[in-house]
Amino acid sequence: MSDGTLDLFADRAPAHSREPSSAADAGAGPSEGLRASGMPGPRVWTVRQVNRAVRLQLEQSLPQLWVGGEVTNFRRQRSGHCYFTLKDDTAQLRCVMFRREAARLPTDPREGMMVRVFGGLTLYEARGVYQLVVARLEAEGEGGMWKLAFDRLKRRLDAEGLTDAARKRGLPAFPGTVAVVTSPTGAALRDVIAVARRRAPWVRVLVRGTRVQGRGAGEEIAAAVSTLASRDVDVIVVARGGGTIEDLWGFNDEAVARAVASSPVPVVSGVGHETDVTICDLVADVRAATPSAAAEAALPDRRAVVRILDNLGTRLGKGLAGQARSRRWRLDQARDLLHRRGRRRVETCRGRLVRERSLVAGVMRARIARHRARLARDAAAMEALSPMSTLARGYAVPLDTRGRLLRKTADFPPAREFSLRVVDGGVACRVADEPGGGPTATSRRAERVGRAGRAHRAE
Amino acid sequence: MPSEGGLDRRLKRIEDIVASLDSDEVDLDEALALFEEGVGHLRRAQQILETAELKVEELIGAQGDEVREFEAPDQGDRDDGDRD
Repeated sequence: MSDGTLDLFADRAPAHSREPSSAADAGAGPSEGLRASGMPGPRVWTVRQVNRAVRLQLEQSLPQLWVGGEVTNFRRQRSGHCYFTLKDDTAQLRCVMFRREAARLPTDPREGMMVRVFGGLTLYEARGVYQLVVARLEAEGEGGMWKLAFDRLKRRLDAEGLTDAARKRGLPAFPGTVAVVTSPTGAALRDVIAVARRRAPWVRVLVRGTRVQGRGAGEEIAAAVSTLASRDVDVIVVARGGGTIEDLWGFNDEAVARAVASSPVPVVSGVGHETDVTICDLVADVRAATPSAAAEAALPDRRAVVRILDNLGTRLGKGLAGQARSRRWRLDQARDLLHRRGRRRVETCRGRLVRERSLVAGVMRARIARHRARLARDAAAMEALSPMSTLARGYAVPLDTRGRLLRKTADFPPAREFSLRVVDGGVACRVADEPGGGPTATSRRAERVGRAGRAHRAE
Repeated sequence: MPSEGGLDRRLKRIEDIVASLDSDEVDLDEALALFEEGVGHLRRAQQILETAELKVEELIGAQGDEVREFEAPDQGDRDDGDRD
């Protein structure tokens, strides 16, 4: 370190070996000046000569040293150079930290912070003030400047809500592609790959190699997260093995925090050992203690997947059975509905039937009555035509023994037996048998009956 | 990118099928077809579990737009911490 510091001063005072550095050499200047003015008198130095002489005295008489004190008025110029004053109860020392060294500071020190600085004394000739050119600045106490920087960034991110538990997303249960941001040559990647091979060999691991320590690591990690987030990956693992706080500093970079927070893909952070906490851990959706743990968090376990498959198989079967059951239920419902409707329909029909039957019965009764009346009329008419009614009026009809009508006198030979049908029965008769004598009175009467076609009365 | 027949896609599809069957909105023929499809995915998923080999690729190039198979270096730990 001291070599570098010497080089530094050589850069800033490149001419000192060529400039007069002894009192004798320095004396040459004033005498020339006097000659130039043409005035005799004491030896007079230029301001520049004095400052140069003092600067050289300062730089050569004191080696680089550590100085402890309280920081005040720390200012970081746009050029990157930092200026501040180191003080204690009774004294102050002006300090400068040039851009190259200041860039290594994780953050600016707080006002009043107790620090120790390492550097060399010099004199700023243009102003004639002496100052300590600081190569390193360290805070006293646990964690020092790193902790201060960490706390400051964390407070800011907390205030923005980037570390809120509510922002944390769940990880996909079955990632197809797991992206890994880490050193392509590191142990962390080997661990992640080993876990993936053991737990979920069906996944695709996509590595984006970055530096994971030193200057620029933070930017690379942030860029890798952003790049992967725009790819078709399901989860991003940011991993690094253990190291000192300075080694892990890239994961405390604000750019990393912002890239992780804005990633549309969930991020698992596994940086360092169990006890290391980085800003990346705090902003990530899942914080794992180690790279291996991060891989385990990101990847399902094969045995768990087997259980899930079994479970899905059971649910598939149940789902189908449920479909069948619901169909049966609906069928039952439909059947019940049909029955209810059918019954109602039957009731309706029966009612209509009853009504119609009575209607028909009425019509039929009327028709029967009509028919009956007609029948009565016809019966009366037929009655009038009936031989019985003629008989009833006193006529009689002669019938032979075989029931044939006897109409003419020739039908009545003597001694012919015949029957005379009268209204209430038959009368057995016999034609008188006087030979040649013609028919008897009885036969005459019978003849008269036959002649007239209508008899008054049978004997 | 996970392949069309990847385990994740198949599991998602089976879950969707189970959800459809549970929702009672499916025609019976369709339900049967879904069930058969689900069983097919289950079988294939089990095969994948048994036979899969890890594939590790590396995204390279300044824009990260090139993918190549990842070759593990012979010795690691060059700029990484110790193993955990």
